[in-house]
Amino acid sequence: MLELNLNMKLLEMCSKCGACYSICPSCTHLPGYDPRQVVADIVQGKFEKWLSSSSIWQCLECHYCLEMCYQHYGFENAMTALRTIATKRGLNPPQVKRGWDMFAKTGKLGEPALPARKKFGLPEPSKSGGEELKKVLDALKDRRGKGHH
Amino acid sequence: MKEFAVFWGCTIQTRFPFLEKSTRIVLDEFNLPYKDIDGFTCCPEKSLVNNVDHASFVVTAARNVALVDELDYDLVSPCTGCVSNLATVKGELCSNPKEKAEVNELLKGVGREFKGTAKLQHLVPFFHDTVGVFAIKQKIKKDFAGMRIALHYGCHMIRPSHALRNDDPIAPVKFDNLIAALGAVSVQFPTKMMCCGQGLDRVDQHDLALQLARVKLKELKALEVDALVLCCPSCFLQFDNNQYLMEKEGEKLGVPVIYFTELLGLALGHTPEELGITAHRVDCAPFLKKWAECSGQAAASTMDDELNAQGAL
Ligand code: SF4
Ligand code: SF4
Repeated sequence: MLELNLNMKLLEMCSKCGACYSICPSCTHLPGYDPRQVVADIVQGKFEKWLSSSSIWQCLECHYCLEMCYQHYGFENAMTALRTIATKRGLNPPQVKRGWDMFAKTGKLGEPALPARKKFGLPEPSKSGGEELKKVLDALKDRRGKGHH
Repeated sequence: MKEFAVFWGCTIQTRFPFLEKSTRIVLDEFNLPYKDIDGFTCCPEKSLVNNVDHASFVVTAARNVALVDELDYDLVSPCTGCVSNLATVKGELCSNPKEKAEVNELLKGVGREFKGTAKLQHLVPFFHDTVGVFAIKQKIKKDFAGMRIALHYGCHMIRPSHALRNDDPIAPVKFDNLIAALGAVSVQFPTKMMCCGQGLDRVDQHDLALQLARVKLKELKALEVDALVLCCPSCFLQFDNNQYLMEKEGEKLGVPVIYFTELLGLALGHTPEELGITAHRVDCAPFLKKWAECSGQAAASTMDDELNAQGAL
């Protein structure tokens, strides 16, 4: 089983709190989105069922809960941890995979729109560091292969 | 003023080159020492890269920051996400020497070093703090007196505050101050600080992205504001493109969306065509028409005594 990279002590407090529910935009506007349940399940070690749920992708990473939280922790940490595991198991939305593939290949999520640049009289775009970044990411992979983390 | 590199980010250069245009126009207007430098990549986008692999997120951002560290420049971006991501990683590495050393070991392989010395700023707090409200007011050719603007800060302009430390993360004021400096009223409304919701469009939940956009746009329609002003390409995508998609489905909300650099550019005397406002999906003509109707006086002619007294420079 993959490790949850979470501070369980803080999460336990969180499961008894719930204060930031009322300021979270997704809790307020997306029916069914409720990190309180997710946190409670994580604390009880029953988070598996959330890995395939679209709910964990509905956290907007707006950091509102983080800022309001008396522990400076926030619902979002729980959601991010579950998304990371879901992704490792291939349970991520297809769009995330497409985006990641593009990032891994080019170091970017898109290339400058050249005809439009011309139309607006913009200069040649700066050179991308994509190739150099690839070397760094490859070195990271190598290190992991050798058992570093 | 220290020289700074502009970090354009993927979204502006890929989808909204006109936002780069208006940003360059206002930077040039104030003779700011900005640079285009080679070698940047995606910041990287947190919701995507960090969900897949935190270490890749960290080294990618660290490498981008290393480029400006090396040149002894600061960094300014017209994208909230880029600054927030870069600053988040800078904060993480500066508070964790062990992780910083590990990252630098990887960067050494390509001859780079993350020091974390460069100041990373979003364009809005940069204009507020470094250019200054007073200098802006002095340059205005035609202000927005009589106009009612709804502001959308964009979560990542101000959060996470431990990394950005540029304004109050819950009740920020700097963007509002800039709007006031341009002579407009910044309308206060219940969903002002609510996230745009564009993130849902990146995880195959388009209908829910629209649902969140609708909440704010409906409120603004009812309040009859003249425009929604923001300074983030992701929020722009959400409120301009997605509003247009709703319009095509017969749901017309009619809220013009204006980028901060465009609003400033207009006040400085540039035309909507030059600034690329005519390239928006949602029609901005009602906003421009209203502005033409407002008398608009030259703000430079009146010294703002109160501002002077507070030492706002
Ligand atoms: S970061 Fe996620 S959980 Fe926290 S307030 Fe925003 S949407 Fe809600
Ligand atoms: S994240 Fe913080 S504020 Fe929100 S419920 Fe948990 S402990 Fe309470």
